[in-house]
Amino acid sequence: MLARKGDQRAFAELVELYKDKIFHLAYRMLNNRHEAEDVVQDTFLRVYKNLERYDENQKFSTWIYRIGTNLCIDRLRKRKPTYSLDAEMNDQEGIDGYAMIPSEDRTPETEYMLSETQQMIRQAIDSLPAKYKTVMVLRYMQELSLQEISDVLDMPVTTIKTRVHRGREFLRKKLERKL
Amino acid sequence: MDCKQALSLMHDYMDNELAPNQVLLLKEHFAVCPACTERYDQLERTEMMLFGIKTQRIEPMADFVTANIMASLPKKTKQRVWLRWVKNHPAITVAAMFVMVMFISALSFWNQDRELMVKGPDLDKLIIEGDKVIVPKGHVVAGDLTVQNGQAEVYGEVNGNLTVIEGSMNLASTAHISGQVTKIDEAMSWLWYRITHMFSGVAYN
Repeated sequence: MLARKGDQRAFAELVELYKDKIFHLAYRMLNNRHEAEDVVQDTFLRVYKNLERYDENQKFSTWIYRIGTNLCIDRLRKRKPTYSLDAEMNDQEGIDGYAMIPSEDRTPETEYMLSETQQMIRQAIDSLPAKYKTVMVLRYMQELSLQEISDVLDMPVTTIKTRVHRGREFLRKKLERKL
Repeated sequence: MDCKQALSLMHDYMDNELAPNQVLLLKEHFAVCPACTERYDQLERTEMMLFGIKTQRIEPMADFVTANIMASLPKKTKQRVWLRWVKNHPAITVAAMFVMVMFISALSFWNQDRELMVKGPDLDKLIIEGDKVIVPKGHVVAGDLTVQNGQAEVYGEVNGNLTVIEGSMNLASTAHISGQVTKIDEAMSWLWYRITHMFSGVAYN
């Protein structure tokens, strides 16, 4: 790997290759453009600093996803205390979808572009507790396999499976009236 | 099959992880349980919506973000390259440091010892005038005599080795030295002298 030898141009290529993937991941996780851009920047900074520690037996994409995911989870944790999925499940559907979309994204353009359904999905994903949100975003928005998610999060596949199942059930309940 | 079991199978099915015979069992359950059929339908539609959101366009990041990333990278200096070499070759580094420390300390010893030093038995019988060390005629030194930073003038006898370090020697015709006569005036031979004496000292003590 050229980038490892401090080759700036090679690293720039890495950035080109992965920046959009990491940005999409962070944007879906945090639902905030500005924070997502910060995460992208922090991710590459970390990659650069730790290139020597990168284990070549591992896929590079797995490694960079892990760094990006961890940074997103850190931010979600700082934002608010996590509560259990059960508490979330009992949550009343009183909040309207509109309020859940971050104010900076509430431009007339996006309102037009986002159908009511899409807004609801975004809101539902956003209300997932971090550990389920991570798995669901990686599974559906990044289309990683269960095995790949287990590699990224360094957790057993059975745990990932359980989280996908519970995440799906949670979203099904949230979206019930739209289905 | 009860509905709880069926739900678990539904999720496995959606993960593509259900054996064909279990798929069959699940379908049999759907045939008799409208609630589970409805639930599966909802789950499948939820999944479709989730996949659907992926196709939703996200405004790409501003171009300056990439530029910012490259600009914010810490510069890898030459020193870091050097440090990495040191990290990768610890044994060589330690050996080099050891040799360097030995060499420096030996050199400093060499440079410091400028004063006259006489080593040997019966020193009180020797005559010392300034930096001159005289073994008088008729006197016998019963052992090795070492003179550092001075002139040795031997008129008598030395029953051992005579070593002169950084100095000169003057052997009179009457002088008799039973051992070896050695004159050392270069740093390297001095070092060699010290090292061989260190080992012989270890051996004999």
